[in-house]
Amino acid sequence: MLTIEITNEDFSLDELVRKAKRKDAGALVTFLGTVRDDGIERMELEAFREAALPELERIRDEAAAKFNLLSVEVVHRVGSLAVGENIVAIVCAAAHRDEAFRGCRYIIEELKARVPVWKKELSKNGERWVGHE
Amino acid sequence: MKIKVMAFASFREILGKELDLDIVGEATASGVLAILAVRNKRFKEAAFDESGQIKDYVLLMINRKRIDPRQDLSTRLHDGDELAVFPPVAGG
Repeated sequence: MLTIEITNEDFSLDELVRKAKRKDAGALVTFLGTVRDDGIERMELEAFREAALPELERIRDEAAAKFNLLSVEVVHRVGSLAVGENIVAIVCAAAHRDEAFRGCRYIIEELKARVPVWKKELSKNGERWVGHE
Repeated sequence: MKIKVMAFASFREILGKELDLDIVGEATASGVLAILAVRNKRFKEAAFDESGQIKDYVLLMINRKRIDPRQDLSTRLHDGDELAVFPPVAGG
């Protein structure tokens, strides 16, 4: 499976792992990004969905080619999230662990740099877009 | 011609999510940004510096493909094109 999703709904990491498993994959590496408590109350996530999905697909295809990934699952949430809630999950399956680790790292780093998604942190002191001037 | 402007994150809060502009004659990315700046002072302050140059953190897409705001602002737009304006991405 090579699934990419941007959703308002929470997801099950177990379900993503189940979808990514293959008989020829000896390693599955997962990345789960969550809302960190930096003194914030909530985080609002917004995506340019029509541009974000194709960019995620390009990143997935690059990672699959570079690291011989056998399957990839990526889910990114949007909407209003509380501290501790899931933001993003990536599951990479490969024959061996080195490829799975490197592929997973590649996808999260490229996602953060390239995919049009934004976060606003809301705290008692106000609100702040992450990464702005 | 009709140009659809889409704005995200801090620029969505200033401009709204989508705007349809009717432009007479030729349209360029810089021309559309100038129209938005004239119409909306907050956008002008957010997107342009005091010398009128577009700020480094302003990112643009035409029809969902990134353009370089330092080089491609004179890119011609066509009827039905979509110009997206947004700040640096911060997903994950």
